[in-house]
Amino acid sequence: MDPVLIKLALGGLAVLGCIGLFFGIGLALAAHKFAVEANPKVEEVLDVLAGAQ
Amino acid sequence: MKIFKREYLILSILAVLGLALLGGCKPEHRFIKKTAFKDTNAIVITFADRVDEAWAKNTANYSIYEKPDPDIKLKIDRVSLSPDKRTVVLAFKEDLNRDQPHILTISEITSGGKSLGTALVKVKKLYFGYLFSILIGAMIIHNFVFTKYLGLCVFFGTSQKKSTAVGMGITFTIVIVFSAMMAWFLYQFVLKPYRLDFLQIVVFIGLVSLSVQAVDTILRKVNPALFKAFGVYLVLVIANCIVIAVPLLLADNEYNGWESLMLAFGAGIGFLIALFLMSSVRERLDLANVPPTYRGLPIAFVVAGLFALAFMGFSGMSIF
Repeated sequence: MDPVLIKLALGGLAVLGCIGLFFGIGLALAAHKFAVEANPKVEEVLDVLAGAQ
Repeated sequence: MKIFKREYLILSILAVLGLALLGGCKPEHRFIKKTAFKDTNAIVITFADRVDEAWAKNTANYSIYEKPDPDIKLKIDRVSLSPDKRTVVLAFKEDLNRDQPHILTISEITSGGKSLGTALVKVKKLYFGYLFSILIGAMIIHNFVFTKYLGLCVFFGTSQKKSTAVGMGITFTIVIVFSAMMAWFLYQFVLKPYRLDFLQIVVFIGLVSLSVQAVDTILRKVNPALFKAFGVYLVLVIANCIVIAVPLLLADNEYNGWESLMLAFGAGIGFLIALFLMSSVRERLDLANVPPTYRGLPIAFVVAGLFALAFMGFSGMSIF
């Protein structure tokens, strides 16, 4: 295969990986910083209920 | 007091940045003061000082083309010089397409027998007018819902009540402006330099879901009341096609930052207008005597078709 194409593909992988990593870390930090403490009992009650709808 | 001072600093930095961005629109050559379109088929060039008549009257000194087609040179019919010898009017045989910027090459400008070099000038419409026309175009003239038929599922899903329609429209506008600006930045400064523009759809979809997730996370903490009001619509924005059409359009047209902002904002407000109009009609349709086969979605589609017909009245309109 053409080495230019291979270079392009590998470069694309690297760039997209970097973008993904950057925004992923950003989102994780945001989720950590803006965390809302949810009441665990809400989940438990929802689990017990039938929940078909 | 200290906090106020810092806000002033940030504001002034922003103002300087804005001015610097706008300053990029001035003519490129020092001797040329102004270039502008005149009537349908003429261009006026204003020089800083007198130019020589023999040079100015020679049509071979000017060459002009529309920016997207550098190979097609436009034919200049005649050149006229004003009595004070500072203004040159180029008249063309055919009408000019004023929506496209024109690149004008003026070779060897001669003033008082001295050559001042060759100038490459961009002739275009007033920039604010252009921005405004993008905004109004995306909002009404090429309304995404009624003339391009995009985003119909969310459009029909959330237009049953006025309150939900307005909530959806506002959420949508916020998210689309946020994601379109990020898409513009990534396209211009990452995808294009690395020649990865063929990956634009993948990247833009990721950006849309990212911005929805970010708005969701931040809003949940910062303004729980607003978050509750938005409810399920925030997540529904991902399923809207307009939100992916706008980044693709601005990448296709090579818009700059301001133009992208106007396009995204116009698309958001246009969607809000469409939702509001539709929900007003559907609220009244609930009270009307609709034949049973048409009740619900079918009559909504008919009404949307009528709206589309009405919006056709705006087509071909141009501002400035």
